[in-house]
Amino acid sequence: MLFNSPAFVMGFLPLAVGGFFLAGRVGGPRWALRWLVAASLFFYGWWNPKFVFLLLGSILANYGFGQQILRLARGGRPQAARRWLIAGVAANLALLGWFKYANFLVQGVLRLHTPELDIFLPLAISFFTFQQIMFLAESESGNRIDAGLLPYASLIAFFPHLIAGPIVRPREIMPQLLAVDLVVPRAQNIAEGSTIFLLGLAKKVVLADTFARFSDVGFAAAAHGASLSFIEAWYAAASYALQIYFDFSGYSDMAIGLARMLNVRFPLNFASPYKATNIADFWRRWHITLSRFLRDYLYIPLGGNRHGEARRNVNLMATMLLGGLWHGAAWNFVLWGGLHGLYLIVHGQFRWQLPAFVGRALTLLVVIVAWVPFRASGMGATIAMLRGMLGYNGIALPQMIVHAFPPLAAIATPVPLLPYLGDARTLSFPEVTACLAVGWTIVLGLPAVHELSARARGWALTSGFAFTVQALFFAPHVTPFLYFRF
Amino acid sequence: MRASAVGVGRSGCPRLLAACLASLLIYAVAFGVILDRPLMLGDLQRQIDAKLARAATIASPKLVILAGSNGAYSHRCETIEPIIGMPCVNGGVAVGIGLDYLFARWQHVLHAGDIVYLPMEEAQYVRTRAATVVGPDAAIMFRHDWRTLASLPPERWLAALFSFDLRAALMGPIEAVLIVAHFHDPRPEATGTINAWGDHIGHTAELAATSRTVLATAPSYHASAEQIRTGYGTTLIGGFSRWAATHGVRVIGGLPTEFADAPMPDATLQAIRSVYALNGDDFVALPNFSRYPRSAFFDTGEHLNETWQVVHSKLLAEQLRWHCASIAAVRPADPAGPPAPRNKPTD
Repeated sequence: MLFNSPAFVMGFLPLAVGGFFLAGRVGGPRWALRWLVAASLFFYGWWNPKFVFLLLGSILANYGFGQQILRLARGGRPQAARRWLIAGVAANLALLGWFKYANFLVQGVLRLHTPELDIFLPLAISFFTFQQIMFLAESESGNRIDAGLLPYASLIAFFPHLIAGPIVRPREIMPQLLAVDLVVPRAQNIAEGSTIFLLGLAKKVVLADTFARFSDVGFAAAAHGASLSFIEAWYAAASYALQIYFDFSGYSDMAIGLARMLNVRFPLNFASPYKATNIADFWRRWHITLSRFLRDYLYIPLGGNRHGEARRNVNLMATMLLGGLWHGAAWNFVLWGGLHGLYLIVHGQFRWQLPAFVGRALTLLVVIVAWVPFRASGMGATIAMLRGMLGYNGIALPQMIVHAFPPLAAIATPVPLLPYLGDARTLSFPEVTACLAVGWTIVLGLPAVHELSARARGWALTSGFAFTVQALFFAPHVTPFLYFRF
Repeated sequence: MRASAVGVGRSGCPRLLAACLASLLIYAVAFGVILDRPLMLGDLQRQIDAKLARAATIASPKLVILAGSNGAYSHRCETIEPIIGMPCVNGGVAVGIGLDYLFARWQHVLHAGDIVYLPMEEAQYVRTRAATVVGPDAAIMFRHDWRTLASLPPERWLAALFSFDLRAALMGPIEAVLIVAHFHDPRPEATGTINAWGDHIGHTAELAATSRTVLATAPSYHASAEQIRTGYGTTLIGGFSRWAATHGVRVIGGLPTEFADAPMPDATLQAIRSVYALNGDDFVALPNFSRYPRSAFFDTGEHLNETWQVVHSKLLAEQLRWHCASIAAVRPADPAGPPAPRNKPTD
């Protein structure tokens, strides 16, 4: 079930939240958690019921592993606990590897000429796998709360973050799920959560989906081998940068808002990443919970920066390549991760002290360039798009623009319309330009949702709520969240 | 985690509700009264009104061509009219304009004995209800044509209110400024213009040169027979056909133009033919099934260039002539009253 579907907003959400508090009032906290697990499984099964069993199996198996690890760790047998941890993590990664990477390994890496394996990627497997690896690691440290299966199932299956995060530390959330006043409805939390949810929904259905229409045209053209001109290529790339930001940060806001309605506070997942002054800063602001996971469970175990600069660079690159691969089983994602690894290494080596504005612009530039392979359908499309962005196919501008500003004729060829820009209509250029201007103004010039005061959030809601209703109930197409496929 | 520090206080819920209501109110007032799109929607509206105005001033029986832009670009009433010996109006404007809106407007100027030829694009048949109710016509009606809106089902009223997205909000003021600044509209010199019959003219083979590369690789997307049969557009066409039958108006189905090297599947063609056969309407398919080489097109697979527009129209007129003659021979009395005075169109 999609957060941005009328069925979720008008049906599931009020029933799930209302049922949670009602069950808590009538039967107590354990019944509220039971309701929460049931609602979350229904939410997950809406997409494909048979994978509910996979999710349940994964939860049960990991709980079993976690209990065994915790028992050994607390019983003074750390080596045995470590062995169980390795086995548990391996089992999780094997499951993820089979569903997500088997075909990539066979055809993309080994290049075996065999038919594609008939494997259907279960929704959210990347997220709930990482979530449970965190649980196992906390078990091995011995300092997690042993609260039983029901709270654990509530934590993993918790519908606000089940599909696409945030990837939360069990020790952050478990105490909240066990709090005595969890099932007491609080008007403040409901109002605040609803506001954050609606602002996140607006980011997704009003902004992200608008920019999706612009980026899709350009990237589809590149995939078909079309020669995109400079403006078309940059507009498509800049649109995608906005689309993925509004899409994923919108989703995260919605998750945070939903959890808040249920008296649970999630950590922040985005902190105005495009305002970052360098690439390391970008990764402290973008998909924060994944960055944190990769740092704690990959980069640091690999050695982090403890064994010299060369080893640090290798660790960084390995972390980013695997981070890229986590997003999808394709070379495009590996290239994206590799580019970011390279950026981080260069940044770590030189540590230029640039003025904030220059640092910001440079960071934004390289981040947008890296989005190209991330979005493109293949290497051919990536190269086609980058050629356009480098100006290999010339600069073309609509006649109406050149007519209004004649000096532009010196650098641009006037054309009746740009075929790969927006709807390819006469007015597509001002339309896409205006939308991009609004989008980048919001991203670069305004505070993030979590930084807004209650009054400012009210104004933001006033600006966007009607457009959200329009997009939610009357837009002909529902666009899934980009991170659903990861 | 500053978010957690920011509260909305005890007044959170009323404030939330107030913000939502204010948003809806501002939206309705802004799009109902203030914001408009004089270039994009205004152009469509002017085209529709001009075509209807011509239809209202000519005598029945007349031939009306209704479709999306395939109607205007690939068909030429100026050519067809002398061949069939019957006045002709080209009502084609653009795919995306709701067929229910289009039919509602045209029903006022159709009289017994009139013939409506429908070379509808495949997209028209399969266009969903959700897409239809928020098409450009919804915005036109909400802003300028409440009478037509009131004649449509109530679901259309709400959809018309919510047919304005972010782009509409941004482009409204921009288009107003462009109008005030007398911006240079490149459309006439880039794509041609509309003549008095409602035909698109001036989309010459020379102007098509700029689209040659695009046309050479343009993919063709075809609807399946099932999609045609179950499409919302098919339902609307069926409804119009039934209305026509009760008002003495004859409907003739037809095929849109398409690339000869990527034709629609036979099953799709048969499904389109069946849409009309099921309603007892005639169907005209040219020997070439309206398929032409890519070099005959202007900028898309549904827009012939002007040279081939004329060729296609002559072929079509020869077919229609027979139908028009047979229909005229059995023309019933006009329940809508006497025909309007006949008027020769001029450019």
